[in-house]
Amino acid sequence: MAKAERAETAAAQSPAIPYDEMRGLDGKVRPHYAELAARIETLSSEELSERQRTLERFFLLQGITFTVYGAESTTERIIPTDLLPRIISAEEWKVIETGLTQRLKALNMFLADIYSGQQILMDGVVPRDLVLNAPSYQRAMQNLYVPHQAYANVCGSDLIRQPDGTFAVLEDNLRVPSGVSYMLANREASKRVFPGTFRGAGVRPIDRYPDMLLTTLKSMAADWRPNPQVVVLTPGVYNSAYFEHAYLARLMGVPLVEGRDLVVHDNMVYMRTTTGLRRIDVIYRRVDDDFIDPLTFRRDSGLGAAGLFNAYRAGNVVICNAPGTGVADDKAVYAYVPEIIRYYLGEDAILPNIETFLCREPAQLSHVLANLDKFVVKAVGASGGYGMLVGPHSTKAQQAEFAAALKADPDNYIAQPTIQLSTGPCLIGNEIDARHVDLRPFILSGDKIVVTPGALTRVALRKGSLVVNSSQGGGSKDTWVLTDRKDLQP
Amino acid sequence: MMLARVADSLYWIGRYVERAEHLCRLSDVMLTATLDRTESATQVARIALAAVGDEADLKKAQDPYEAARALVLDREDTGSVASSLGFARENARQVRDQITTETWERLNMIHFRMTDPNAGRAFADGSQAFLHDTIADLHLFKGAADATMSHGEGWRFLLLGVYLERAQLIGSLLEVCFGEKSKRILADHTAQTSLLRMSCALEPYLRVYTADIRPDLILEFLLLDDDFPRSMRFCTARIEEHLASIGRHADAESPGPDRLAGRLRARLQYADIDEVQAGGASVFLAAILDECAAVHKAVYEAFVAYPLEQRLPA
Repeated sequence: MAKAERAETAAAQSPAIPYDEMRGLDGKVRPHYAELAARIETLSSEELSERQRTLERFFLLQGITFTVYGAESTTERIIPTDLLPRIISAEEWKVIETGLTQRLKALNMFLADIYSGQQILMDGVVPRDLVLNAPSYQRAMQNLYVPHQAYANVCGSDLIRQPDGTFAVLEDNLRVPSGVSYMLANREASKRVFPGTFRGAGVRPIDRYPDMLLTTLKSMAADWRPNPQVVVLTPGVYNSAYFEHAYLARLMGVPLVEGRDLVVHDNMVYMRTTTGLRRIDVIYRRVDDDFIDPLTFRRDSGLGAAGLFNAYRAGNVVICNAPGTGVADDKAVYAYVPEIIRYYLGEDAILPNIETFLCREPAQLSHVLANLDKFVVKAVGASGGYGMLVGPHSTKAQQAEFAAALKADPDNYIAQPTIQLSTGPCLIGNEIDARHVDLRPFILSGDKIVVTPGALTRVALRKGSLVVNSSQGGGSKDTWVLTDRKDLQP
Repeated sequence: MMLARVADSLYWIGRYVERAEHLCRLSDVMLTATLDRTESATQVARIALAAVGDEADLKKAQDPYEAARALVLDREDTGSVASSLGFARENARQVRDQITTETWERLNMIHFRMTDPNAGRAFADGSQAFLHDTIADLHLFKGAADATMSHGEGWRFLLLGVYLERAQLIGSLLEVCFGEKSKRILADHTAQTSLLRMSCALEPYLRVYTADIRPDLILEFLLLDDDFPRSMRFCTARIEEHLASIGRHADAESPGPDRLAGRLRARLQYADIDEVQAGGASVFLAAILDECAAVHKAVYEAFVAYPLEQRLPA
C-alpha cells in the first residue's frame, strides 16, 4: 500500500507525458493549429515530401549550408529543416514577450552593476566568488561606460515548454547568439511551401529584424557621430555561422569585415577600403570575447584586431555585444536570475527558471549524486550540447564518470531535472510524427528593448531525443506567432 | 568605397569565371575537331593545349578526350575548370553580402554541377552537352550580374577581372597561333575555323569577312575589331572604361592603373594590321600581354595592397 502511494506521487511529480503543441490531452487540435491541421489533412504523404524537397532545394540554392570535411571530399549539407511550422498563439506570445523584456532588462542592469559598483555582490544576493571567478567575467570591462547600459544588444534565450504548458527559460545567450538567419530563412521557405495557410493564419511578420538590428546598433554609437559606420565582424568563411554573418550584413547593407580588414591607429578603428582607410563606429562582432583583440585577450588570435579593445575603452568605437556579457548567461549564475530580477526590478520573474541544483553547494551536490539517473548535468562553461549528461538516457558507466567529475570539480557543474520538452508534428520520412522542440526568440536591446515576434524552433530529429543542438542531430523549423484577432478589427 | 578585400574578391570572381568559360570552349572545340582522326585535328588539339600552357606535352594531344576531361574536371589541377569555378565560388562566398542573391544562385548552381559525384559520368556520357550547359550557365551568371547588381564599384571590379582575364586569354591564344614559335600551326581550314570557334568568333567573323577565312584576317578580327566582345581592342577599351569609373569612386591619389590602361587601350585603338605585321605580330602580342600584366599589378597596388603609411590620417 505504502509502496503504491509512493509510486503515484513520483508519477505526479514528473509527468511523463510531454506537452503536445498541436493537440490537447483529449486529442483535439488546439484552436491556433486548426488551419494548419486542416491543410495537412488534404495533402498526401507524397505531396508533403514534394514540399519538403522544394524547401531543401531553396536552402541549398541560397547557400544556407555548412561544410562537412570528410576524408575523400568535402561536401556541403543544409541544416535539417522541417516544413511543418510551429505555431504560438497571441496570448502565449504576450507572456513570452513581456517575460523576455523583463529578463533582459534585469540582466543588463546586473552586468552594469557587476562591472561598476558591484552592489548586488555586496548585498550578498549573488555569491561574489561565483561571479568574479567565472571564466566569462572580463576584468578589462570594469568601470567602462556602455551606452544605455545595453551590454547584451542581441540576446537569444532558449525557452522550453514544460508538461503543464508553461514556458520556462532553459538558458540565456548573451555572448554571440546565432540562429536568427535560420529564423528568417525558414520564414522565406514556409511562405513558399504553405502560402495559403500562411495568409489565412494571420502570422506576425519578422522581416523587420535586420533593420531593427541596425537601429539598435546605431543607437549605441556616440551622439556626436552623425551617420555612424556600422560593420559586422566575422571570423571568416570557414566559420559555421558564416552564412548568417553575410546574410545579416547584406540585409542591413553594411560591410562584412574580417580581422585582417581592420587597422587600429591612435585608438581609432579603420577598415581598409579601395579608397583608403575609413573609420568605423560600431562593430557587431560575431567573434568570441577571447578572440577580438590579441593585445587584451588571447594572444594567438588572428580573428580580431590588435588594439581594438583600447579603442573601445577610449570610447572611439562600440563593440556589440559588449565583451564580458557571458558572465550573465553563465549556467551557475543562471540559477540566480529570478533573484536578480527581484533585486533590480522589484518584480517576480514572469518566465520561470528550470529548477537548478548548484553542485558547489555540498547539500545540493549529494542530492544530485544520489539521483544522477534522473538529472541532466551540465558543465558550467560548456555549450552546444557538449559536456552534458542526460540521466535517464545514460549508462551506468557514463554516470560513474560524471559522478567522479562532479566530486573532483563541483563548482564546474549544475544539475537540472530532466524536462520533457514539448513535442510538435514533424515530417519524418513520409510520415508525420511528434518530435521534441524548444524555442529561441531573439531580443534586441539598445536605447530600447525589442522582441521580434518570431523565433527559431529547434527540433530533436531523433525519436525520443531531447537534444536539439544542430551539432547533435537537431534541425529547425519556422515559428508562427499569430496576430491577436482583436487587433485585426478595422 | 568598398572593402579592399571585397574588391579583390570580386575582381577574382570575374577572372575565374572568364577563365572557366574559355577553358570549356577550348575543350569543346578540341573534342569536336578530334572526332575526325586527321593530322589537322591533332593540330587543333595542340593549339588548345598550348594555349593553356601544355605545349611541352605533345603526348596529351594524342588523347584529346583525356586531356579535355582533365582540363575540365581535375580538381587537383588548380588551372582546371572545376578548380576555377571552385575558387570563383569561394570568393563569392567571402563577399556574399556584396553580390545579389540572383547572381550568387547562378554561380552556386554551376559549382554544384561541377562537384556532383556524377559529374565524371555526365561528362563521359556527353562531354559536348556538359560543356555547352556549363558555358550557358556562365552566361546566365554574367547576365544575372548585369541585370541585378548595381553597376557601381563592385560590379566594375567584377568586369575589370572579366576583361583583363579575357584579354590575356585571347592574347595567349593568338600568341600560340601567330607568335614566334607558331610555325605554320594554322596550316589548314580546320585549324583556322577552330581558332575562331575557340574565341567564340566564328559567326561574328563570317558576318564581317564572309566565308573568306584567312589567318591575316583572323588576326585582324581578333585584335582590332571594334565591336566584337572578344577582340583585344574591345577588351582593352572596357578595361580602361571600368578603371576610369573605379578611379572616380577612388581618391584618384594613384594614377598608376588608369595611366597604364589608357596606354594599352591607345596602343590597340590606333594600331592597324599592316603596321602590326610589319613589326611582327609576336612582338606586338608580347608587348600587349606585358602591359596587361602591368595593369593587373597596378590595380592590386592601388586598391588592395596599398602601403598603410600613406593612408593613415595625419
